[in-house]
Amino acid sequence: MMRLRQNEIVDESRIELVDISDAGAAIGAARHMAAAIGFEETDQYLIATAVSELATNMIKYAGRGELTVRFIRNEERDGFEVMAIDSGPGIKNVEKAMQEHFSTGDSLGLGLPGVKRIMDELYIESRSGSGTQCVARKWRDCDA
Amino acid sequence: MTDKKKISAQKMNVDLATQVLNQLPTPVFAVNNDMEIIFMNKPGQDLLGMELDDILGSHCYTLMQSHHCETPECRMQLARETGKTCTARNEINIDGRLTPIEYTAAPLFDDNGELIGGLEYAIDITERVRDEKRLREQSRTIQEISTPAISLWDGIVVLPVLGVVDSLRAKQMMNTMLLKIKETSAKTIILDIQGVAAVDTAVANHLIKITKATKLMGCRCIISGMSPAVAESLVHLGIDLGDVATNSTLRDALGDAFTLMSLEVKKTK
Repeated sequence: MMRLRQNEIVDESRIELVDISDAGAAIGAARHMAAAIGFEETDQYLIATAVSELATNMIKYAGRGELTVRFIRNEERDGFEVMAIDSGPGIKNVEKAMQEHFSTGDSLGLGLPGVKRIMDELYIESRSGSGTQCVARKWRDCDA
Repeated sequence: MTDKKKISAQKMNVDLATQVLNQLPTPVFAVNNDMEIIFMNKPGQDLLGMELDDILGSHCYTLMQSHHCETPECRMQLARETGKTCTARNEINIDGRLTPIEYTAAPLFDDNGELIGGLEYAIDITERVRDEKRLREQSRTIQEISTPAISLWDGIVVLPVLGVVDSLRAKQMMNTMLLKIKETSAKTIILDIQGVAAVDTAVANHLIKITKATKLMGCRCIISGMSPAVAESLVHLGIDLGDVATNSTLRDALGDAFTLMSLEVKKTK
């Protein structure tokens, strides 16, 4: 199980992804949530881009899944959290997927490392053949 | 509430509780910590088409055979692990018949607060799924008609891009553009991405491909609508647009296109 959360969830919204057009809903929800947390416009866009990346990946490789965007809070600060769960084929080699320009599909292979760069934290748990769970967080006023 | 009614409510017994659950018009069941079914109400039995005696003690995943069964997506496991109620959409497979459902799982505790399993109820969402499908088709239609190629000037074509760019849409954009280039013998194409929801690596990939194809047709491609946020996200994602000309606004892009074509816009004296 992914490391247990020590953060309080202030608000969350859940998006079911079954079709690439649902990515639009995920992007919208992410932007909205980031704005509610108080991120600046550029950061809102960056967060939406990272969420878009995760959503696109999920639909491309797993066909469907679920994405939750959250407003989280701990004693020190507020932040944005996205959790993506799918029961697709899983990522064979998470370390490799995190490398620049590594892609099993027909893509640039910049997605996951890019998400890691945009967000402050990224955790991926995947078992080949039984799905993937990604959690990414970005804290407000935090220079990672 | 009268005293008499209060007493009878307090006296709610196991029989009454079972009756209530059996007549609740949606499947409800509970499992122990080994995911073996310890209770299932009548609608649940009817859904499976089985007798209660045959159901009790079986693992829930052997009977349901849903997409989430025995995967990290199983909300029953998640609810038991996190101690929180979880809701998700799923599809169950009963005798080869797929039914879309939305199910809610919650941890099950005994009187001492010990976790003894989980409980779940499911709602048939066939209708909802059908409506969503219709909506999706409509949004796709909107997307299809929202990629117009506009001849702005002799030899200059503008393609405003709005919303979400997926591979199907990118193909359409590519086709629209290439056809337009052929029709109008355009020398410059401006791809305006101001209205794109998010430029992630997949979108950038499509844009790069489109610019390459236009180049092959002997046409220059300028990407406009590079807001500070888009520029920053491309840098973060490590995307190199190579030698693709970019501009922050459509206005600048048009100015550049005029310059490239040795055109000058002058105020009349």
